[in-house]
Amino acid sequence: MSNKKIGLIFNGVWSQYAFAKATKYRDCYVLLYIHDLNATQLDSVDALVIPFQSNHEAIAQHRDLLYHFLAQGKKVFVEGDSSAQWLDARWEDRPVNNFWWVKDPHNSPVSETDYSHPIYQGLKPRHAFWHYHGVYTRIPDHASIIQKNVDGDIVTWQTNHFGGTFLVTTLDPIVEHGVQQITHLDHFCDRLTEWLIGYRPEGKFEILKSDYGIAV
Amino acid sequence: MTSSIRALIFSNGIEGLKSLYQSNEIIQYDWLEVGPDFNPDLAGYDLLIVPNGSDHIAMYRIRDKVLKFLDAGGSLFCFDGWFTDWVPGHRWVMDNSQKSIAVRYKLRDDPYQLAAKFRPEDLNFSHGISGWWACGYIESAPGSHVLLEDTWGRPLVVIDQTTTKGLMVLTASAPAADLSYATTDDDAAERAMTELYRALLSLIPIQKQKTHVK
Repeated sequence: MSNKKIGLIFNGVWSQYAFAKATKYRDCYVLLYIHDLNATQLDSVDALVIPFQSNHEAIAQHRDLLYHFLAQGKKVFVEGDSSAQWLDARWEDRPVNNFWWVKDPHNSPVSETDYSHPIYQGLKPRHAFWHYHGVYTRIPDHASIIQKNVDGDIVTWQTNHFGGTFLVTTLDPIVEHGVQQITHLDHFCDRLTEWLIGYRPEGKFEILKSDYGIAV
Repeated sequence: MTSSIRALIFSNGIEGLKSLYQSNEIIQYDWLEVGPDFNPDLAGYDLLIVPNGSDHIAMYRIRDKVLKFLDAGGSLFCFDGWFTDWVPGHRWVMDNSQKSIAVRYKLRDDPYQLAAKFRPEDLNFSHGISGWWACGYIESAPGSHVLLEDTWGRPLVVIDQTTTKGLMVLTASAPAADLSYATTDDDAAERAMTELYRALLSLIPIQKQKTHVK
Protein backbone atom coordinates (compact mmCIF):
# COMPACT_ATOMS: atom_id res chain seq x y z
CA MET A 1 0.00 0.00 0.00
CA SER A 2 1.22 3.49 -0.81
CA ASN A 3 1.59 6.19 1.82
CA LYS A 4 1.26 8.79 -0.91
CA LYS A 5 -2.05 9.72 -2.50
CA ILE A 6 -3.15 10.98 -5.89
CA GLY A 7 -6.06 13.42 -5.96
CA LEU A 8 -8.49 12.77 -8.83
CA ILE A 9 -10.39 15.94 -9.72
CA PHE A 10 -13.86 14.44 -9.83
CA ASN A 11 -16.71 15.63 -12.05
CA GLY A 12 -19.20 13.10 -10.64
CA VAL A 13 -18.79 10.86 -13.71
CA TRP A 14 -19.19 7.12 -13.20
CA SER A 15 -16.11 6.02 -15.15
CA GLN A 16 -13.89 8.31 -13.07
CA TYR A 17 -15.52 6.84 -9.96
CA ALA A 18 -15.17 3.23 -11.18
CA PHE A 19 -11.43 3.69 -11.71
CA ALA A 20 -10.78 5.31 -8.34
CA LYS A 21 -12.85 2.69 -6.49
CA ALA A 22 -11.39 -0.39 -8.22
CA THR A 23 -9.58 -2.61 -5.73
CA LYS A 24 -6.30 -2.16 -7.57
CA TYR A 25 -6.28 1.62 -7.39
CA ARG A 26 -8.48 2.61 -4.45
CA ASP A 27 -5.56 2.90 -2.02
CA CYS A 28 -3.72 5.28 -4.37
CA TYR A 29 -6.46 7.62 -5.60
CA VAL A 30 -8.68 10.04 -3.68
CA LEU A 31 -11.76 11.58 -5.31
CA LEU A 32 -11.80 15.38 -4.98
CA TYR A 33 -15.23 16.60 -6.13
CA ILE A 34 -14.68 19.65 -8.31
CA HIS A 35 -17.46 21.74 -6.79
CA ASP A 36 -16.13 21.21 -3.25
CA LEU A 37 -12.44 21.61 -4.12
CA ASN A 38 -10.31 23.67 -1.74
CA ALA A 39 -6.69 24.28 -0.76
CA THR A 40 -6.84 21.96 2.25
CA GLN A 41 -7.81 19.03 0.03
CA LEU A 42 -4.97 19.73 -2.38
CA ASP A 43 -2.50 20.00 0.50
CA SER A 44 -3.47 16.46 1.52
CA VAL A 45 -2.43 14.79 -1.76
CA ASP A 46 0.96 14.27 -3.42
CA ALA A 47 -0.07 14.39 -7.09
CA LEU A 48 -3.14 15.23 -9.17
CA VAL A 49 -4.96 13.74 -12.14
CA ILE A 50 -7.52 15.68 -14.15
CA PRO A 51 -9.39 13.00 -16.12
CA PHE A 52 -11.27 13.12 -19.42
CA GLN A 53 -14.88 14.32 -19.05
CA SER A 54 -13.89 17.02 -16.59
CA ASN A 55 -15.66 20.33 -16.08
CA HIS A 56 -13.02 22.75 -17.35
CA GLU A 57 -15.13 25.83 -16.63
CA ALA A 58 -15.17 24.77 -12.99
CA ILE A 59 -11.48 23.84 -13.00
CA ALA A 60 -10.62 27.29 -14.33
CA GLN A 61 -12.16 28.74 -11.17
CA HIS A 62 -9.39 26.94 -9.24
CA ARG A 63 -6.56 27.86 -11.61
CA ASP A 64 -4.45 29.51 -8.90
CA LEU A 65 -4.77 26.48 -6.62
CA LEU A 66 -3.55 24.15 -9.40
CA TYR A 67 -0.50 26.25 -10.23
CA HIS A 68 0.31 26.64 -6.54
CA PHE A 69 0.20 22.84 -6.32
CA LEU A 70 2.66 22.57 -9.22
CA ALA A 71 4.92 25.23 -7.71
CA GLN A 72 5.47 22.91 -4.75
CA GLY A 73 7.29 20.53 -7.11
CA LYS A 74 4.37 18.10 -7.43
CA LYS A 75 3.08 16.34 -10.54
CA VAL A 76 -0.18 16.98 -12.41
CA PHE A 77 -1.52 14.67 -15.14
CA VAL A 78 -4.22 15.95 -17.51
CA GLU A 79 -6.04 13.65 -19.96
CA GLY A 80 -8.57 14.15 -22.75
CA ASP A 81 -9.62 17.70 -23.56
CA SER A 82 -8.69 20.88 -21.69
CA SER A 83 -9.37 24.59 -21.74
CA ALA A 84 -7.22 27.60 -22.55
CA GLN A 85 -8.95 29.21 -19.56
CA TRP A 86 -6.45 27.49 -17.29
CA LEU A 87 -3.91 25.75 -19.58
CA ASP A 88 -1.62 27.70 -21.93
CA ALA A 89 -2.23 25.47 -24.94
CA ARG A 90 -4.75 24.98 -27.73
CA TRP A 91 -6.79 21.77 -27.69
CA GLU A 92 -8.90 20.99 -30.77
CA ASP A 93 -11.51 18.31 -31.30
CA ARG A 94 -10.97 15.48 -33.80
CA PRO A 95 -13.11 12.45 -34.71
CA VAL A 96 -12.42 9.61 -32.29
CA ASN A 97 -11.00 6.61 -34.11
CA ASN A 98 -11.43 3.85 -31.55
CA PHE A 99 -11.73 1.09 -34.15
CA TRP A 100 -8.42 1.34 -36.09
CA TRP A 101 -7.18 -1.79 -34.34
CA VAL A 102 -10.09 -3.72 -35.89
CA LYS A 103 -10.16 -2.14 -39.35
CA ASP A 104 -6.47 -1.46 -39.96
CA PRO A 105 -4.38 -2.78 -37.05
CA HIS A 106 -1.01 -2.15 -38.69
CA ASN A 107 -1.64 1.57 -39.15
CA SER A 108 -1.93 3.24 -35.76
CA PRO A 109 -3.13 6.87 -35.77
CA VAL A 110 -0.18 7.68 -33.48
CA SER A 111 3.15 7.65 -35.32
CA GLU A 112 5.69 8.96 -32.80
CA THR A 113 6.16 8.11 -29.13
CA ASP A 114 9.09 8.99 -26.87
CA TYR A 115 9.59 5.67 -25.12
CA SER A 116 12.27 7.17 -22.89
CA HIS A 117 9.58 8.83 -20.77
CA PRO A 118 9.15 6.88 -17.49
CA ILE A 119 5.48 6.10 -18.18
CA TYR A 120 6.17 4.80 -21.67
CA GLN A 121 9.37 2.86 -20.92
CA GLY A 122 8.79 -0.81 -21.65
CA LEU A 123 5.30 -0.33 -23.05
CA LYS A 124 4.38 -2.03 -26.30
CA PRO A 125 2.91 0.31 -28.94
CA ARG A 126 -0.60 -1.08 -28.34
CA HIS A 127 -0.22 -0.30 -24.62
CA ALA A 128 1.07 3.22 -25.29
CA PHE A 129 -1.84 4.21 -27.54
CA TRP A 130 -5.45 3.09 -27.98
CA HIS A 131 -7.31 6.23 -29.14
CA TYR A 132 -7.19 9.95 -28.47
CA HIS A 133 -9.77 12.66 -27.87
CA GLY A 134 -8.62 15.60 -29.92
CA VAL A 135 -5.10 17.01 -30.34
CA TYR A 136 -3.00 19.99 -29.31
CA THR A 137 -2.22 22.41 -32.11
CA ARG A 138 -0.28 24.73 -29.79
CA ILE A 139 1.68 23.99 -26.62
CA PRO A 140 3.93 26.25 -24.50
CA ASP A 141 7.43 27.00 -25.83
CA HIS A 142 8.92 25.37 -22.73
CA ALA A 143 7.08 22.06 -23.30
CA SER A 144 8.50 18.89 -24.84
CA ILE A 145 6.53 16.57 -27.10
CA ILE A 146 6.06 12.92 -26.14
CA GLN A 147 3.52 11.68 -28.69
CA LYS A 148 2.34 12.84 -32.12
CA ASN A 149 -0.26 11.53 -34.52
CA VAL A 150 0.27 10.74 -38.20
CA ASP A 151 -0.77 14.29 -39.14
CA GLY A 152 1.93 15.77 -36.90
CA ASP A 153 -0.53 17.01 -34.28
CA ILE A 154 0.49 16.74 -30.64
CA VAL A 155 -1.12 14.03 -28.50
CA THR A 156 1.09 14.09 -25.38
CA TRP A 157 3.42 16.78 -23.98
CA GLN A 158 5.16 17.73 -20.77
CA THR A 159 6.68 20.76 -19.07
CA ASN A 160 8.61 21.40 -15.86
CA HIS A 161 8.24 25.15 -16.19
CA PHE A 162 5.86 25.63 -13.27
CA GLY A 163 7.94 24.00 -10.56
CA GLY A 164 6.54 20.50 -10.68
CA THR A 165 5.80 18.41 -13.76
CA PHE A 166 2.78 18.95 -15.96
CA LEU A 167 2.04 15.94 -18.20
CA VAL A 168 -0.78 16.51 -20.67
CA THR A 169 -2.27 13.99 -23.10
CA THR A 170 -5.40 13.56 -25.19
CA LEU A 171 -5.35 9.85 -24.36
CA ASP A 172 -7.91 8.87 -21.71
CA PRO A 173 -6.37 6.09 -19.57
CA ILE A 174 -8.26 6.90 -16.35
CA VAL A 175 -11.76 7.14 -17.85
CA GLU A 176 -11.26 4.31 -20.35
CA HIS A 177 -9.89 1.98 -17.67
CA GLY A 178 -12.95 2.81 -15.57
CA VAL A 179 -15.16 1.81 -18.50
CA GLN A 180 -13.35 -1.58 -18.62
CA GLN A 181 -13.87 -2.23 -22.32
CA ILE A 182 -10.14 -2.11 -23.21
CA THR A 183 -8.42 -4.90 -21.37
CA HIS A 184 -4.77 -3.82 -21.52
CA LEU A 185 -4.89 -0.42 -19.80
CA ASP A 186 -3.36 -1.74 -16.58
CA HIS A 187 0.02 -1.35 -18.28
CA PHE A 188 -0.39 2.38 -18.81
CA CYS A 189 -2.28 3.14 -15.60
CA ASP A 190 0.14 1.20 -13.40
CA ARG A 191 3.09 3.10 -14.84
CA LEU A 192 1.21 6.39 -14.59
CA THR A 193 0.51 5.72 -10.92
CA GLU A 194 4.13 4.78 -10.27
CA TRP A 195 5.35 7.92 -12.05
CA LEU A 196 3.00 10.07 -9.95
CA ILE A 197 3.71 8.65 -6.47
CA GLY A 198 6.48 6.07 -6.78
CA TYR A 199 4.25 3.07 -6.17
CA ARG A 200 3.12 0.51 -8.75
CA PRO A 201 -0.30 -1.05 -7.98
CA GLU A 202 -0.68 -4.81 -8.23
CA GLY A 203 -3.53 -7.25 -8.57
CA LYS A 204 -6.72 -7.30 -10.63
CA PHE A 205 -9.09 -4.47 -11.46
CA GLU A 206 -11.95 -5.70 -9.30
CA ILE A 207 -15.23 -3.85 -8.89
CA LEU A 208 -17.01 -4.09 -5.55
CA LYS A 209 -20.79 -4.14 -5.86
CA SER A 210 -21.02 -2.42 -2.49
CA ASP A 211 -19.51 0.71 -4.06
CA TYR A 212 -22.65 1.20 -6.18
CA GLY A 213 -25.96 2.66 -5.12
CA ILE A 214 -24.21 4.67 -2.42
CA ALA A 215 -25.22 7.64 -0.30
CA VAL A 216 -22.77 10.54 -0.36
CA MET B 1 -52.42 19.04 -31.69
CA THR B 2 -49.88 17.87 -29.13
CA SER B 3 -47.52 20.50 -27.70
CA SER B 4 -43.81 19.79 -27.81
CA ILE B 5 -42.03 18.22 -24.86
CA ARG B 6 -40.37 20.67 -22.48
CA ALA B 7 -37.12 19.04 -21.37
CA LEU B 8 -34.43 20.09 -18.92
CA ILE B 9 -30.98 18.57 -19.49
CA PHE B 10 -28.36 18.45 -16.75
CA SER B 11 -24.88 19.48 -17.88
CA ASN B 12 -21.63 19.02 -16.00
CA GLY B 13 -19.62 20.80 -18.67
CA ILE B 14 -18.12 17.81 -20.48
CA GLU B 15 -16.83 18.35 -24.01
CA GLY B 16 -19.27 17.82 -26.88
CA LEU B 17 -22.40 17.19 -24.83
CA LYS B 18 -24.50 20.10 -26.05
CA SER B 19 -24.13 19.25 -29.71
CA LEU B 20 -25.94 15.94 -29.15
CA TYR B 21 -29.32 17.43 -28.23
CA GLN B 22 -31.03 19.72 -30.77
CA SER B 23 -34.44 21.27 -30.11
CA ASN B 24 -36.98 20.36 -32.77
CA GLU B 25 -40.75 20.10 -33.33
CA ILE B 26 -41.00 17.19 -30.88
CA ILE B 27 -38.93 18.50 -27.99
CA GLN B 28 -37.55 21.80 -26.70
CA TYR B 29 -34.45 21.64 -24.53
CA ASP B 30 -33.20 23.89 -21.76
CA TRP B 31 -29.78 23.31 -20.19
CA LEU B 32 -29.03 23.32 -16.50
CA GLU B 33 -25.39 23.70 -15.46
CA VAL B 34 -24.20 21.88 -12.34
CA GLY B 35 -22.21 24.09 -9.98
CA PRO B 36 -21.51 24.82 -6.32
CA ASP B 37 -24.67 25.01 -4.15
CA PHE B 38 -26.63 23.23 -6.88
CA ASN B 39 -30.32 23.78 -6.15
CA PRO B 40 -32.31 23.93 -9.40
CA ASP B 41 -35.97 24.71 -9.99
CA LEU B 42 -37.47 21.77 -11.88
CA ALA B 43 -40.96 23.24 -12.21
CA GLY B 44 -42.50 23.70 -15.62
CA TYR B 45 -40.79 20.77 -17.35
CA ASP B 46 -42.25 17.53 -18.67
CA LEU B 47 -38.93 15.68 -18.76
CA LEU B 48 -35.58 15.68 -16.97
CA ILE B 49 -32.66 14.26 -18.96
CA VAL B 50 -29.51 13.02 -17.25
CA PRO B 51 -27.23 12.27 -20.21
CA ASN B 52 -24.24 10.02 -20.63
CA GLY B 53 -21.30 11.29 -18.52
CA SER B 54 -23.35 13.15 -15.90
CA ASP B 55 -22.53 14.29 -12.36
CA HIS B 56 -24.12 11.85 -9.92
CA ILE B 57 -22.85 13.65 -6.84
CA ALA B 58 -24.96 16.62 -7.89
CA MET B 59 -27.93 14.38 -8.70
CA TYR B 60 -27.72 12.76 -5.26
CA ARG B 61 -27.80 16.19 -3.63
CA ILE B 62 -31.13 16.99 -5.36
CA ARG B 63 -32.67 13.51 -5.08
CA ASP B 64 -35.61 14.79 -3.04
CA LYS B 65 -36.45 17.32 -5.74
CA VAL B 66 -36.29 14.64 -8.42
CA LEU B 67 -38.64 12.42 -6.42
CA LYS B 68 -41.05 15.31 -5.94
CA PHE B 69 -40.91 16.03 -9.68
CA LEU B 70 -41.69 12.40 -10.48
CA ASP B 71 -44.50 12.20 -7.94
CA ALA B 72 -46.07 15.21 -9.64
CA GLY B 73 -46.27 13.09 -12.81
CA GLY B 74 -43.04 14.21 -14.47
CA SER B 75 -40.70 12.03 -16.51
CA LEU B 76 -37.02 11.20 -16.10
CA PHE B 77 -34.54 9.85 -18.64
CA CYS B 78 -31.27 8.71 -17.08
CA PHE B 79 -28.86 7.55 -19.78
CA ASP B 80 -25.89 6.98 -17.50
CA GLY B 81 -24.41 4.89 -14.72
CA TRP B 82 -25.84 6.35 -11.50
CA PHE B 83 -23.44 5.08 -8.86
CA THR B 84 -25.18 7.15 -6.18
CA ASP B 85 -28.59 6.27 -4.80
CA TRP B 86 -30.72 9.02 -6.32
CA VAL B 87 -32.96 7.06 -8.76
CA PRO B 88 -36.03 5.90 -6.79
CA GLY B 89 -36.23 2.11 -6.52
CA HIS B 90 -33.45 1.25 -8.99
CA ARG B 91 -29.75 0.60 -8.69
CA TRP B 92 -27.05 0.67 -11.35
CA VAL B 93 -24.07 -1.59 -10.81
CA MET B 94 -20.80 -1.46 -12.73
CA ASP B 95 -19.51 -4.90 -13.63
CA ASN B 96 -16.55 -6.34 -15.53
CA SER B 97 -17.21 -10.03 -14.97
CA GLN B 98 -18.35 -10.60 -18.57
CA LYS B 99 -16.40 -9.98 -21.77
CA SER B 100 -17.73 -7.16 -23.92
CA ILE B 101 -17.00 -9.23 -27.03
CA ALA B 102 -19.93 -11.47 -26.00
CA VAL B 103 -22.47 -8.69 -25.38
CA ARG B 104 -25.66 -8.77 -27.44
CA TYR B 105 -28.89 -6.89 -26.80
CA LYS B 106 -32.28 -8.59 -26.66
CA LEU B 107 -35.83 -7.33 -26.40
CA ARG B 108 -37.55 -8.65 -23.26
CA ASP B 109 -40.71 -6.71 -22.41
CA ASP B 110 -42.17 -4.12 -24.78
CA PRO B 111 -45.69 -3.11 -23.70
CA TYR B 112 -45.61 0.08 -25.82
CA GLN B 113 -44.39 -1.66 -29.00
CA LEU B 114 -41.30 0.54 -29.09
CA ALA B 115 -39.45 -2.07 -31.12
CA ALA B 116 -41.53 -0.94 -34.09
CA LYS B 117 -39.47 2.25 -33.92
CA PHE B 118 -35.95 0.83 -33.46
CA ARG B 119 -34.13 -2.46 -34.06
CA PRO B 120 -32.31 -3.93 -31.04
CA GLU B 121 -29.97 -5.95 -33.28
CA ASP B 122 -28.67 -2.73 -34.88
CA LEU B 123 -27.32 -1.69 -31.47
CA ASN B 124 -24.97 -4.67 -31.20
CA PHE B 125 -21.91 -3.42 -33.07
CA SER B 126 -19.99 -0.21 -33.65
CA HIS B 127 -17.30 -0.65 -36.30
CA GLY B 128 -17.34 -4.36 -35.58
CA ILE B 129 -16.94 -3.85 -31.82
CA SER B 130 -19.61 -5.18 -29.46
CA GLY B 131 -20.45 -4.02 -25.97
CA TRP B 132 -19.84 -0.45 -27.05
CA TRP B 133 -22.62 1.51 -25.37
CA ALA B 134 -23.96 -0.22 -22.26
CA CYS B 135 -21.87 -0.71 -19.14
CA GLY B 136 -22.81 -2.69 -16.05
CA TYR B 137 -26.49 -3.45 -15.50
CA ILE B 138 -29.60 -2.27 -13.68
CA GLU B 139 -31.21 -3.89 -10.68
CA SER B 140 -34.70 -2.76 -11.55
CA ALA B 141 -37.62 -2.08 -9.24
CA PRO B 142 -40.52 -4.56 -9.08
CA GLY B 143 -43.25 -3.75 -11.57
CA SER B 144 -40.97 -2.04 -14.08
CA HIS B 145 -40.57 -3.19 -17.68
CA VAL B 146 -37.17 -4.36 -18.90
CA LEU B 147 -37.17 -3.24 -22.53
CA LEU B 148 -33.65 -4.49 -23.35
CA GLU B 149 -31.45 -7.03 -21.63
CA ASP B 150 -27.94 -8.26 -22.33
CA THR B 151 -26.60 -11.69 -23.23
CA TRP B 152 -26.88 -12.81 -19.62
CA GLY B 153 -30.42 -11.49 -19.11
CA ARG B 154 -29.37 -8.42 -17.17
CA PRO B 155 -31.56 -5.30 -17.53
CA LEU B 156 -30.02 -2.52 -19.64
CA VAL B 157 -33.04 -0.38 -20.57
CA VAL B 158 -35.87 -0.12 -18.05
CA ILE B 159 -39.23 1.66 -18.12
CA ASP B 160 -40.94 2.27 -14.79
CA GLN B 161 -44.39 3.80 -14.25
CA THR B 162 -44.97 2.07 -10.92
CA THR B 163 -42.39 3.18 -8.36
CA THR B 164 -43.45 6.84 -8.55
CA LYS B 165 -46.43 8.64 -10.06
CA GLY B 166 -44.24 9.63 -12.98
CA LEU B 167 -42.25 7.84 -15.69
CA MET B 168 -38.63 6.71 -15.41
CA VAL B 169 -36.63 5.48 -18.41
CA LEU B 170 -33.23 4.22 -17.34
CA THR B 171 -30.34 2.87 -19.39
CA ALA B 172 -27.15 1.29 -18.12
CA SER B 173 -25.26 4.15 -19.74
CA ALA B 174 -25.91 5.06 -23.38
CA PRO B 175 -25.26 7.96 -25.77
CA ALA B 176 -29.02 8.26 -26.40
CA ALA B 177 -29.68 11.64 -28.01
CA ASP B 178 -30.90 13.40 -31.17
CA LEU B 179 -27.40 13.02 -32.55
CA SER B 180 -25.25 10.16 -31.38
CA TYR B 181 -21.75 9.02 -31.99
CA ALA B 182 -23.48 5.70 -32.44
CA THR B 183 -22.44 3.08 -34.91
CA THR B 184 -21.21 3.18 -38.48
CA ASP B 185 -21.07 -0.36 -39.76
CA ASP B 186 -23.97 0.33 -42.07
CA ASP B 187 -26.77 2.85 -42.48
CA ALA B 188 -29.14 1.05 -40.10
CA ALA B 189 -26.56 0.86 -37.34
CA GLU B 190 -25.68 4.52 -37.84
CA ARG B 191 -29.24 5.44 -36.87
CA ALA B 192 -29.81 2.84 -34.17
CA MET B 193 -29.09 4.84 -31.02
CA THR B 194 -31.00 7.90 -32.21
CA GLU B 195 -33.95 5.70 -33.16
CA LEU B 196 -33.93 4.19 -29.67
CA TYR B 197 -33.96 7.72 -28.24
CA ARG B 198 -36.86 8.77 -30.47
CA ALA B 199 -38.77 5.64 -29.50
CA LEU B 200 -38.30 6.44 -25.81
CA LEU B 201 -39.45 10.02 -26.40
CA SER B 202 -42.75 8.66 -27.73
CA LEU B 203 -43.55 7.65 -24.13
CA ILE B 204 -43.63 11.24 -22.94
CA PRO B 205 -46.94 12.30 -24.56
CA ILE B 206 -48.50 9.14 -23.09
CA GLN B 207 -47.22 10.13 -19.66
CA LYS B 208 -48.40 13.73 -20.09
CA GLN B 209 -51.87 12.54 -21.02
CA LYS B 210 -51.94 10.22 -18.02
CA THR B 211 -50.98 13.07 -15.70
CA HIS B 212 -53.60 15.41 -17.12
CA VAL B 213 -56.34 12.79 -16.83
CA LYS B 214 -55.64 12.61 -13.10
